[in-house]
Amino acid sequence: MIANNNKDIFSLKPSEGLQQRLHIDFPLFLAFMVIFMISLTTIYSASNSSIDAVLNQGIKIMISIFAMGVVAQFSPLSYARIGPWLYCVCLVLLILVLIIGETRNGATRWLNIGITSFQPSELMKIAMPLMIAGYISRGALPPNVSSVALSITIVLIPSYLIMEEPDLGTSILVAFSGLVVIFLSGLKKRYLALAFTLFLAYLPFMWSNIHPFQKKRVLSFLNPESDPLGSGYHLIQSKIAIGSGGIFGKGWLNSTQGQLDFLPERTTDFIFAILAEEFGFLGVSLLIGIYLFIIGRGIMIAINAQDLFSRLLASSISLTFFVYVFVNIAMTTGLLPVVGVPLPLISSGGTSMVTIMVGLGMLMSVQTHRRLLEK
Amino acid sequence: MKFKSDATQETEKRIFLTRILFSISMISLLVILILLRLVQLQIFDSDKYKLRSMNNTIRTQSLPATRGLIYDRNNQILAENQPVFQLEMIPEQIKDIELTLNGLIQLGIIDGKNLETIKDNVSKNYQFKAIVLNNRLTEKQMAIFANSRTRFKGVDIKARLSRHYPKKEITAHALGYVGTISPIDYKVFDPSLYTGQEQIGKTSIERDYEPMLHGNPGNEQVLVNVRGRVMESLGTIPFSPGDDLILTIDTKLQEIAYEAMKDKKGAVVGIDPSNGEILILLSTPSYDPNLLSRGMSISEYKAFEKNKDKPLFNRAIAGQYPPGSVIKPMLGLAGLHLGFIDPTKYEPCNGAFSLPNYSRPFKDWRTHGPVNLKEAIQASCDVYFYKTAIKMGIENMSDFLLKFNLGTTTEIDIGQEKAGVIPNPSWKRNNFKSKENQSWYRGETVIAGIGQGYMLTTPLQLAFATSMIANKGMSYKPHLVKGITDSSLKKTEYIDPIIVNHLDDINLNHWEIIHMGMKAVVNQKGGTAYGMFDNNYPLAGKTGSSQIYSTEKIQGRNVPEELQDHGLFIGFAPPENPKIALAIIVENGISGRTAAAPVAKKILDVFLEDKKDDSKQQ
Repeated sequence: MIANNNKDIFSLKPSEGLQQRLHIDFPLFLAFMVIFMISLTTIYSASNSSIDAVLNQGIKIMISIFAMGVVAQFSPLSYARIGPWLYCVCLVLLILVLIIGETRNGATRWLNIGITSFQPSELMKIAMPLMIAGYISRGALPPNVSSVALSITIVLIPSYLIMEEPDLGTSILVAFSGLVVIFLSGLKKRYLALAFTLFLAYLPFMWSNIHPFQKKRVLSFLNPESDPLGSGYHLIQSKIAIGSGGIFGKGWLNSTQGQLDFLPERTTDFIFAILAEEFGFLGVSLLIGIYLFIIGRGIMIAINAQDLFSRLLASSISLTFFVYVFVNIAMTTGLLPVVGVPLPLISSGGTSMVTIMVGLGMLMSVQTHRRLLEK
Repeated sequence: MKFKSDATQETEKRIFLTRILFSISMISLLVILILLRLVQLQIFDSDKYKLRSMNNTIRTQSLPATRGLIYDRNNQILAENQPVFQLEMIPEQIKDIELTLNGLIQLGIIDGKNLETIKDNVSKNYQFKAIVLNNRLTEKQMAIFANSRTRFKGVDIKARLSRHYPKKEITAHALGYVGTISPIDYKVFDPSLYTGQEQIGKTSIERDYEPMLHGNPGNEQVLVNVRGRVMESLGTIPFSPGDDLILTIDTKLQEIAYEAMKDKKGAVVGIDPSNGEILILLSTPSYDPNLLSRGMSISEYKAFEKNKDKPLFNRAIAGQYPPGSVIKPMLGLAGLHLGFIDPTKYEPCNGAFSLPNYSRPFKDWRTHGPVNLKEAIQASCDVYFYKTAIKMGIENMSDFLLKFNLGTTTEIDIGQEKAGVIPNPSWKRNNFKSKENQSWYRGETVIAGIGQGYMLTTPLQLAFATSMIANKGMSYKPHLVKGITDSSLKKTEYIDPIIVNHLDDINLNHWEIIHMGMKAVVNQKGGTAYGMFDNNYPLAGKTGSSQIYSTEKIQGRNVPEELQDHGLFIGFAPPENPKIALAIIVENGISGRTAAAPVAKKILDVFLEDKKDDSKQQ
C-alpha cells in the first residue's frame, strides 16, 4: 500500500523520444547550461577581464559536457560491473601518490603519468559511490553488521589516504559519497547513533593528526580577526566581498574586492564571494535555486530508478553534489572552516568539473536507461 | 546478480524512501542555514562590510600646492618654481636592476656614490613605486639618456617643480631658502599639510611666511588594489596655490650693496624712513640658496656650517656688534633732551679723559681741541662723549637708547632677530655670575659713551634707529613684506606701515642740531667722512669703528685681521626729506670712513639718481 502510494506520488513518466535516444535529461542539461553561463561570466570578472581565462574554462566545460554525454550512454548495469575494478585501481593509485606523487604547495595530490598529471582522489569521487552502491545492493536491506563494517572500511581506507595527501576537502566528499549510501540503505538507527558517537570520539584524535596548516584554517575560522593578514585573511576578505554586495550587488565587473585583488583564489574556491559581491543576495539566491533544482531532479531520478544500485548511485551523486555546494558556500561565508572545496560547475579548474559532470552523466544514465531495463 | 523478490524490493524501496525524505529535510535545513547566513551578511551587516570594502580600496593622495612666488618691490622675481628633470625607475618594469644601474653609472647619468642608497630604496619600497636615481639631470645627461633610452626600459625622466632663486647670493639672507622637511619642522607646521612633500621654508621670508607661501594642498581619491597600486582616480579636490609675496626689497640697491660687500664680511640694511620698508637687507659672505633647496648632502651642509666666515649666519638681523661712534648722535640727543648738554658750549679735548682712581686715561682717537656738540659729532670726538656720559650717568643713557629700539628687537617680520645689549647696572647684575663682576664701574659708563664695552647692536637696529633720527622721532616698524597676493583671487593686499614713536616729546631744535652734526660728518672739513663723498652730498651720516680687542688696543700694522676694528657707517638721505636710512658694518674693516662709507656712497649714488628721476617725472 505504502509502496504503491509512494510510487503514485513520485513516479515520473519514463523519458521518451529524443531524450531517451540521446540519453540526455533535458531539464538537467538546461540547468547545467545556465550554471555554465554563470561560471563563464563570473570567471571573466574574477580574472580581471581575461578572455584567456574564459576560453580556458570554456574548453573545460566542453570536455566536461562531452564526458557527461559519453558516460550517459552506458547503462547503470555496466557501471555496477566496473565499480569494484575502478575502486581497486584508484586505491592503488592513491597509494602510489603517497609514494611517488608530485608535491605542489606542500600537498602531494598529483600523479605524473607522462603526458599529464592528475589527481587520483578525483577519480575516487566516481569510484566510491559505484563501489559502495554495488556492494550494498547485492545484499538484503537493511544491511547486517558485517556488511556495514566492511562498507565502512571500504569508505575509510581511501578517505584516509586522501586526507594524508593532505586534501581534507576531497577526503570529506569521498567519505560522504560512500557513507551516504550506507545511510540510505537503511542502516539501523542504533548504528547511526554509534557511528556518530565514534565520530565525536575520533575528533580529538583527528585534531592531533591533521596538518598544521589545516589546524590554522580551523582556528582562523573560529576567530578570523585574530590574524587578519595571515590565515584569517581569506575569510575576512571573502566576508567583506559577500557583505558589501548587499541585496542587489555591485554589478558585473564592479566587484572591488575582486577587481582590485583583495580576494585571493577568486576564480577557484572563493568564486562564490565574487558572485555575491557583484550580483548580491538576489543573484546568489537564484544560483542556489538552480543548484537545488539539479539536486531535486537528481533525487527524483533516484526515487524513480528501477533497481537498488541505480537508486543508491543516483542519490549518492545528488547528495554529494549538495554537500559540494553547501561546503563551498558555508566556507566562503564563514560557517565552516576553509577546506578547499570548489563551487561545483562554477569554479575554474578542470579535474573537479570533469568528475562532477561524469557523476551527473551517470545520473542521466540512470534516468534514460530505465525502459531498457523494464524490458 | 541475484534477483530479489518483489516483496524484498518493496521493503528496500520503502526504507530508501524514508531515508531520502530525511535527507531532503536535512538539505532544507542546511539551505535555510545558508540563506540565513547570507541574509545576515548581505542585508543586516551589509553597511559594515561596504565600509570595510571602501577602506580596503579607497585612498586619499595629497596634491601639493605650488609654492607662492616672491617678487621685489618693482615686481622683479626673486623666488620662483622651476621645472627640474629627474631620472626615475620603476623596479617592477626592469628585468635586471643591477645591469640597468651599472649601465647608467657608466654613462655618467647617475653617481656611483648613490648606488647603495638607490638599492636600499628599491628594497624598501613597493615594486611599482618610482625610485629617484638622479634628482637633477643636467642637459648633457638628458641628451645622453635620450640617445640610449631604449636600453633602459622602466627608467624615465620626470619633471617636478623646484624652488629657484635667480638672484642667488644677493637675496639669500632676505629670502631664506627651502629645504628638506625635518621632524622639528613638523612640530611647528601641521604635518597633514605636507603629506607627499619634501620641502619646507627653512629661514627668513621662506620660513616666516611659510603658511602663506605653502598654500593648501588638494587631494585625490584613488582606487588602489591590494598592493596599493593606483588603479583609477575617483575625484580630485584641487589645491589652492600659495600666496605670492611682494617684498619691500629693491633688488637694484641690493645688487649694488652686494657688489660692494661681496669680498667683505658684514651687513647692509637700508630702510625707507617714511614707511619702514626695508630696501636692502644684505649679509656677507652669502650663500647660494639654490644649492640648499636642491638638496645638499650632509657633508656639503656640514662644510657650510663649519665655514669660519659663517655664510649662513644672517648678520643683518642677528649679528651683534658694538656700535662704536655711530651711537654718538643718539647719546648727543639724549644729552640735549635731558639737559646735560649745552649745544653752544665748547669742551676742551686734549686727546684723553681721566677718571679719578683710574690709573690709565681713556684715550681719544686724536686730539680735537675745544668742540661743541655739532663738532663733536662731525669729528667724532671721544672725550666730549666721555664727559657727557659721566654727566648723564648710565641709567639715563640706557633708558634713552632703549627708545631708539636698541637693546630690544625691532619685531621685523622675519625671525632669528637678535636684541643686542644696552648695558646698565641691572643688566649687569642679571647677566654675570660672580658678585665682583655684577657691580657697575664708572669706567664702563665712560666707554658706553662711545658705544664700546658691553653695548651690542644689530645692523637692523642701527638702520632703524637712523630712520628715527631721519624722521625726527617718528618711524615705522621695519618690514620686508609689502603685499600679499592671493593666488586664486589675484588680489593683492598691501600691508599698512605700523607707526613707532618713542621719541615724540623731543624738541625739534635738538633734532636739528644732531642733523647738522651728521650733515657735517659728510660735507664739512673735519667731518670723519668728509672727502669720501662728492661735495654737498645730500647725506647726513656718522662713521664708527668698534673695537673688538677690548683688553688693550694693539697699535700698528701687526694686528691679526680678525681682531681689527669693525668699520661702521649710518646715514640718511636726503637729509631734508629722508628716503633712505642706512646702516653698514664691515667686519674688521678698521675704520668706518674707509671701509663702510664707500659702500654707502655706491648705494646712494644710484639711489639718489633714481629719486631725482622719479621727482622729475612727477
